[in-house]
Amino acid sequence: MLVAFVLLFLMAAIRFPDSFLHADNLRNLLSQNAYVGIIAIGMTFVIISGGIDLSVGSLVALCGAVTVLTVNKAAESGMVLMVALAAALAAGAVAGFANGAVIAFGRVAPFVVTLAGLAGFRSIALVLGQGGEIRSTVRSFGDFGYDGLPIPGLTNIGGKPVILYWSTLAFLLVALLGGFLLNKTRYGRYVIAVGANEKAARYSGIDTRWVKVWTYTLLGGLVGLAAFFNSARMNSVGTGSVGLYYELDAIAAVVIGGTSLAGGKGRIWGTVVGVLLLTLIGMLLNLWRVDPNWQGAVRGAVILIAVLLQRTTKPEN
Amino acid sequence: MSILRAALWATLATLAVAMVGCQGGSESSGTSGTGGRTVAKDGKRFKVGVSIPAADHGWTAGVKWWADQATKLHPDIDWIIEDAKEPGEQISDLENLQSQRVDALVILATESEPITPIAEKLKEAGILIISVDRGFTKPVADVFIEGDNKAFGRKSAQYIVEKLGGQGKIVVLEGIPSTVNTDRVNAAMEVFKANPGIQIVAKDTGMWNREKAEKVMQNILVSHPQIDAIWASDDDMALGVENALRAAGRDKNIWILGGAGMKDIVKRVMDGDPLYPADITYPPSMIAVGVQMAASILESGREKALQFMPRHLMIDVELITPENAKDYYFPDSVY
Repeated sequence: MLVAFVLLFLMAAIRFPDSFLHADNLRNLLSQNAYVGIIAIGMTFVIISGGIDLSVGSLVALCGAVTVLTVNKAAESGMVLMVALAAALAAGAVAGFANGAVIAFGRVAPFVVTLAGLAGFRSIALVLGQGGEIRSTVRSFGDFGYDGLPIPGLTNIGGKPVILYWSTLAFLLVALLGGFLLNKTRYGRYVIAVGANEKAARYSGIDTRWVKVWTYTLLGGLVGLAAFFNSARMNSVGTGSVGLYYELDAIAAVVIGGTSLAGGKGRIWGTVVGVLLLTLIGMLLNLWRVDPNWQGAVRGAVILIAVLLQRTTKPEN
Repeated sequence: MSILRAALWATLATLAVAMVGCQGGSESSGTSGTGGRTVAKDGKRFKVGVSIPAADHGWTAGVKWWADQATKLHPDIDWIIEDAKEPGEQISDLENLQSQRVDALVILATESEPITPIAEKLKEAGILIISVDRGFTKPVADVFIEGDNKAFGRKSAQYIVEKLGGQGKIVVLEGIPSTVNTDRVNAAMEVFKANPGIQIVAKDTGMWNREKAEKVMQNILVSHPQIDAIWASDDDMALGVENALRAAGRDKNIWILGGAGMKDIVKRVMDGDPLYPADITYPPSMIAVGVQMAASILESGREKALQFMPRHLMIDVELITPENAKDYYFPDSVY
């Protein structure tokens, strides 16, 4: 899959040296799917533990609604951003915890529980937004969505410095911490153990139910984080449209990244490359002038080829 | 396994060669120049992006079709059409178009608020912005073209009141929650409220979608034995309503007023179908107006053209009746 990414990247670079290799565009490659990326890191944990979460797209809408409503309420205080971030994280974590608790303690299949979440969270978001979009009244919140670290020495077409958005930095940071959590901590080993063989994990003294609950809670919190950045970027939240199909993009990124849908094995860096591959495909379809009606077909084909390649380049075990 | 692997690599390699080799949309071809008046000062062809919502209902499919038609009229301009399912994707599309150094953008926003900040940035970067149908929340666009949604609601409601003689039971079906829908519904409701003889027995949303409208209408039919007319506000929804009426055997002594001017409905109006006494326009071809204006402004020199171009164009909506239906019938259109 890394090979597929490098190959496509080189193709783009050779074919469109002028626009593709521009600093602005390379920044876009990192930043455009940062929201899906943050979610995909959490999704990697859930999938490794043997679960799945279909509710994340709707939860983006719900957390976004909570974020913008909080921003508008806290408009006067100097801590708007911190308060809104805390509200988003809390809303996401609570929803994730609820998902996890029903799955682990209610013993309902994750597919079913989160399918209910997919319907339910979106609906609550629509209620909060009265069916439409909720606009933020705080200008600085919207500015924050386009703010970040200027990359020294790089300027865009207009001669202004290229900015690495805070959301992109958050994505990279979450990926680093996620890699550490999965590979270097006891909790990470438990997650892998539960996904590989739940019975064996339970017999060896792991409370598998709580391990699962925490994976969904972690994912929920990350969805809240993504929703916070996303609604800042838009300075609003369209409760009917935001986050649509994010669950599919996130799951696709995880699977392209080499994490097994059966659970028990996976890798964070693979998910990061998976997210970048999805973004790259989107850009290339744009650069190649593929008719919008055909883009889905090409995207699907590239995803399949990427996964098949990685399956066949590894020895069977 | 190794055969499959070899086959996959071969496919990829072929694709790679094909993509690198193919001519369409190549960057170098832009510099060749055509020598005509459509060439910018530095000898490069103009490049214009068209960013529209994905075709999730009939009207947006019509937008795509009309965008294709209008861009074909200007082969000297390098057109890039992109569609987006949601605002996040549209922001990405717009950023990518900026990376490709477009001279102008024709934008039909998925939603107004989220697209406004990026449109501001694109304008600052010197790109000509033509906004169509769903405007921005700030005056960012160089030219803004929209349909008159309040007139859409008012005229369609007035037609219903007149045809019913001020007395009757009607159903109101709303579209996807948006400013477009709100403007239409509010204007229509004002007219209905002013006519107390008109009784709204049910009001629900069909999301501008045939299937959804059919389901909603089925449920409404069960609990309301007497309905005279349906304000369906969209032709896709009108067709869904018709399915529900036929399935329930209730397709007599009742009629539907859709909206937007889908060719199938316009044809039915033209043929005098009693289910469809009229329709109301909201032409997806307004994207073509935007495309045409972008081309014309670039070709005639942006500064000069913008001196007299209107900043805001409101396209009136018109009632389609059997008498004038042929003027609104486009059999080749997808919509």
